[in-house]
Amino acid sequence: MKALFKRDHWPLWVVLSVMALALILPAVLPWTYDQIDWDAVRAPAFSGSHIFGTDEIGRDRLARLAAGTQVTLMVAIAAALVSLVVGIAWGATAGWVGGKVDEAMMRFVDALYALPFMFIVILLMVIFGRSILLVFVGIGLVEWLTMARVVRGQVMALKQRPFILAAEAAGSPPLTIILKHILPNIAGVALAYLMLTVPQVVMVESFLSFLGLGVQEPLTSLGILVKEGADDMDMTPLGLLLPGGLLVLLLVCLTIEGERLRDIYS
Amino acid sequence: MLALVARRLMTAVPTLLAIILASFFLMRLAPGGPFDGERPLPPETQAALQTAYGLDKPLWEQAWIYVSRLVQGDFGPSLVYRDFTVSELVAQGLPISLTLGGLAIILALLIGISAGLFAAVRAGKAADKTIMMIATVATALPTFVTGPALALFFGLWLGLLPVSGTGEGWSWLIMPVVALALPVSGAIAKLTRAGLATVLKQDHIRTARARGLPETKILFKHGLRPALVPVASYLGPAAAGLLTGAVVVETVFGLPGLGRYFVQGALNRDYPLVLGVVTLYAALIILFNLFADLIYGWLDPRMREG
Repeated sequence: MKALFKRDHWPLWVVLSVMALALILPAVLPWTYDQIDWDAVRAPAFSGSHIFGTDEIGRDRLARLAAGTQVTLMVAIAAALVSLVVGIAWGATAGWVGGKVDEAMMRFVDALYALPFMFIVILLMVIFGRSILLVFVGIGLVEWLTMARVVRGQVMALKQRPFILAAEAAGSPPLTIILKHILPNIAGVALAYLMLTVPQVVMVESFLSFLGLGVQEPLTSLGILVKEGADDMDMTPLGLLLPGGLLVLLLVCLTIEGERLRDIYS
Repeated sequence: MLALVARRLMTAVPTLLAIILASFFLMRLAPGGPFDGERPLPPETQAALQTAYGLDKPLWEQAWIYVSRLVQGDFGPSLVYRDFTVSELVAQGLPISLTLGGLAIILALLIGISAGLFAAVRAGKAADKTIMMIATVATALPTFVTGPALALFFGLWLGLLPVSGTGEGWSWLIMPVVALALPVSGAIAKLTRAGLATVLKQDHIRTARARGLPETKILFKHGLRPALVPVASYLGPAAAGLLTGAVVVETVFGLPGLGRYFVQGALNRDYPLVLGVVTLYAALIILFNLFADLIYGWLDPRMREG
């Protein structure tokens, strides 16, 4: 825990600060994200109570930015957790059982890897309709593949270690061994890959929302804000630059932090 | 080499068929249909439309009809663009998407490999760290942000390049291709840099140095080729990424490519259009993976009989 306060981890702190701001701001701002200020349509930055101005129908930009960041990050975290659970369950089973089962399970993962997953997610959206729940279930279900591969490798390496063999010899049931002895040992690597999954998911969610297939109005997300900004950029470039810049900042920080953790643990 | 191509094509056909059938049945499971408008159609019209498009037949029969027509190059009628067949839409969109994707991967390879090479030569120095930092940032740049941002700067503010449409000449290609290539070139730069770092430590490089070969020859003739093996294995995923990126870029820059039809089809539940585009995407990705495997074999002779 103490290691997280080192200077190297600045990207993590940037992300956490953005997250904290996104949670606090809606409570302090005089405007909500969907409230229309009829007297200030396309207001420039720093005009009255609108710090970043308003959009093309007079909604406060900062409030929308905070709300969009909340949705984007929450979808990302939820989807990353789904991928963590599925990935660990799949990878640990394959690695622990081994043999033919392992081969079949990993072939399945290979086959899914070869598919263009963005198109699968879009197909799922078309089939089951566009709800925020499905956005992250859909994303989480295709983002678990790397996690499964990594966990399987770790489990296979751990399985040969004396303390696991000892636990087996002592008659511990497999589930106990996996939960008590194996999981704590792969937590670091899993955390690193979880960290790398979050930017992937942010990217997919914003991509879908940008195309109009993800989060739906009245909810908003960074992808929707980028889309709205792009549509109105000839009038108010700020509408594109603010959410776009914030999205890139989050993606860059999450990627750097994830890669750093991965290098530490593997 | 020929045996590999033949074997790969043999497995490609069932894979493609499985993808087509899976998407076909999944789409038909979907609630809601292409004829659900704002105003409900009278039941007779609904039934007539269903019969006209063969949607009243049993599912497996529809699937069989679809696949047998597909083999003859007939993707069926578009349900939303009523005056066009899917084949016509696809024939019009495919060249645009292929040009975008092809140019983007060439640009990404050029930028990525030269940046990675430059960084590896200066390993540990400031230039190396700066380039790798830029590469990390580049990989995290989503096309749906860079695309509009480029259009804003170079199109609207500087007025140098066209913001939308295909227009005259080649200038309309520049921004879409750059937006597509940026994240891929970042990833290629990282892979090249990492590959070279391992290769340059190996014995055959030390031997080459001991023999007094010029450093450029060591680098390009003995170092780069094995170092590019990881880049080759990244080409498959990169192609899939470029295709998804093209969907965004075509939407942003208003280009009538495959991706735009895919999104329009998905939003309007135009089954034949979505199926047709998915089939083509799958075929393209399979073909590109085969191509990547051939490059892989050329770079690393040990892989040829794999």
